[in-house]
Amino acid sequence: MYPFGKGMARYLPLLLLLIPMALYLVFYFGPSVMTVIYSFTDVKNIPGSTMKFVGLENYYDLFYSGNSGERWRSITNTLIFMFVVTIVQNGVGLFVAVLLNQRLRGDYFYRAVFFLPVVLGVAVVALIWGMMFDPMSGPVNMLYDWLFGYKDMFFASFTHAFGYIIFVQIWMYMGYSMLIFLAGLQSVPKDLYEAGYIDGTNKWQSFRHITFPLIAPSFTVNMLLSIIGAMSTFDIILATTDGRFNTRTMAYDVYKETFRGSLEMGLPSALSVVQFLIILVFVVVAVRQTRKREVEY
Amino acid sequence: MKSSKSFTILSYAVVAVMLVLYVVPLILVLNVSLKSYPEYLINPIGFVKEIQWSNYVTAWTEGNFANYFINSLIYTSVATVLTIIVSVMGAFPVARKYVKWSGFIYMFFLLSQFLPNPMVAQYKLMLSFKESFGFFGYDTKLGYIVLKTTGTGVVFMLFVGYIKSISRELDEAAGMDGSGYVRYLFQMITPLMKPVIATGVILTAIGIWNDFVGPIMYLPSQANYPITFGLKEFKGQYGNNWPLLACGITIVAAPLIVLYTFIQKYLVDGALAGAVKS
Repeated sequence: MYPFGKGMARYLPLLLLLIPMALYLVFYFGPSVMTVIYSFTDVKNIPGSTMKFVGLENYYDLFYSGNSGERWRSITNTLIFMFVVTIVQNGVGLFVAVLLNQRLRGDYFYRAVFFLPVVLGVAVVALIWGMMFDPMSGPVNMLYDWLFGYKDMFFASFTHAFGYIIFVQIWMYMGYSMLIFLAGLQSVPKDLYEAGYIDGTNKWQSFRHITFPLIAPSFTVNMLLSIIGAMSTFDIILATTDGRFNTRTMAYDVYKETFRGSLEMGLPSALSVVQFLIILVFVVVAVRQTRKREVEY
Repeated sequence: MKSSKSFTILSYAVVAVMLVLYVVPLILVLNVSLKSYPEYLINPIGFVKEIQWSNYVTAWTEGNFANYFINSLIYTSVATVLTIIVSVMGAFPVARKYVKWSGFIYMFFLLSQFLPNPMVAQYKLMLSFKESFGFFGYDTKLGYIVLKTTGTGVVFMLFVGYIKSISRELDEAAGMDGSGYVRYLFQMITPLMKPVIATGVILTAIGIWNDFVGPIMYLPSQANYPITFGLKEFKGQYGNNWPLLACGITIVAAPLIVLYTFIQKYLVDGALAGAVKS
């Protein structure tokens, strides 16, 4: 029963709801659908140019035109990026969360420090590591030199640049995964551990059979976020190497082709769709896997 | 539950190593920022010998940071306030089912997190807005602010959850007393939502302040640069002059770190409540 008047007044909530709805439709949902439509046309970024339907031509061009070799490299890079980031970031995040959950002295401080990079943002983080990884006078190279007698080019190395980008990405968002796991850990009832302790479980067993099943929901959330995040993030690439030295991913390519490429917009649209399909497959598989492990208590 | 001593020691050791990995880069940046360029070249990582405060003056004036800060503040504050307002407008009727298809609208708004990448068409749209209106769209402050204002996604979801915990009888009582819908929403409900609004403000503001790709795509004029883009340009100008660049990093990071120490409790709770990566 709606308590705020009758007749025309009844439509006020709807009227106000139309504002976020309109913003969403115009700036996100609409463009998202249009991008899918564009992927089947020869749309150009020239005002007033005509657009015609070309079927799967863009998709064909993606993989069989002149620079399709680079395309495969981007896709492989994207998959490497996603797998490594998802596994390492969540692995380390979970590990640190479990450690901090034992009520270590100063755990709030550690927690805050590990989350700090997210607050600083990608522009600052990229520049900090730019300094750390400076090939001429960076501290990391001094360390390498002192330890292994070897120097690296870091973000200017064809073989290693992408690996360092992955490192920075994980360094930046590890605290995020850690927080979500901490939230999960704090919801586990303590008496379960007591019961396990009485039954003589060791640390690993209690983690494996008590903690892990009970924090499965936060696993699901983390998996979802890491997969979608890692597949669509490219700001870190833009801020460190700007796609040079074999560091292009699909998300970066979409940006590059849209923003600084030719005037053809069908190609990046098709790439967006392919990217979306890959995300969908991995998300469905990952969520199924983690969902299976969730238990009721 | 008792925990073995050796395990505790090991935990502290691991945390200490992690801490080094997170704190040392910041300390090194601060250290480098106070060196003269010759001193940096001779000894890049040693402790600073002669403190050069003038680096900061140079970086501040050369880097045009005052201007970028103001831009960032405008974008972040306006778009965040608008985002909170439209999120309340969207979340309240959906949570209370005062509009038809509430369940569907809820799902539809949450879908915003999983849509195919809208970048291509969004870019084209912003360009065509600029073509037709001039003051709105591509490369305008207003266009960028409106683009960054969203009433969907995580903040909306948090608000819906929170509003459900506010008693419906309040709505009825206010209605009986003749309060109008709009007045009720902004004078009664919004003050009751303070904790979740704080979370929403923080999450939104961090996202907008740190947006890196958006400004590069939609704000190409120097007059419109926010701080993130400004820092990138600064790096472009001073390529390898790390003392100056470190000043730039510190100038941008210090206010954030200070602010963060005050709000970190809310922020951590907020991140726990709703997890989002933009």
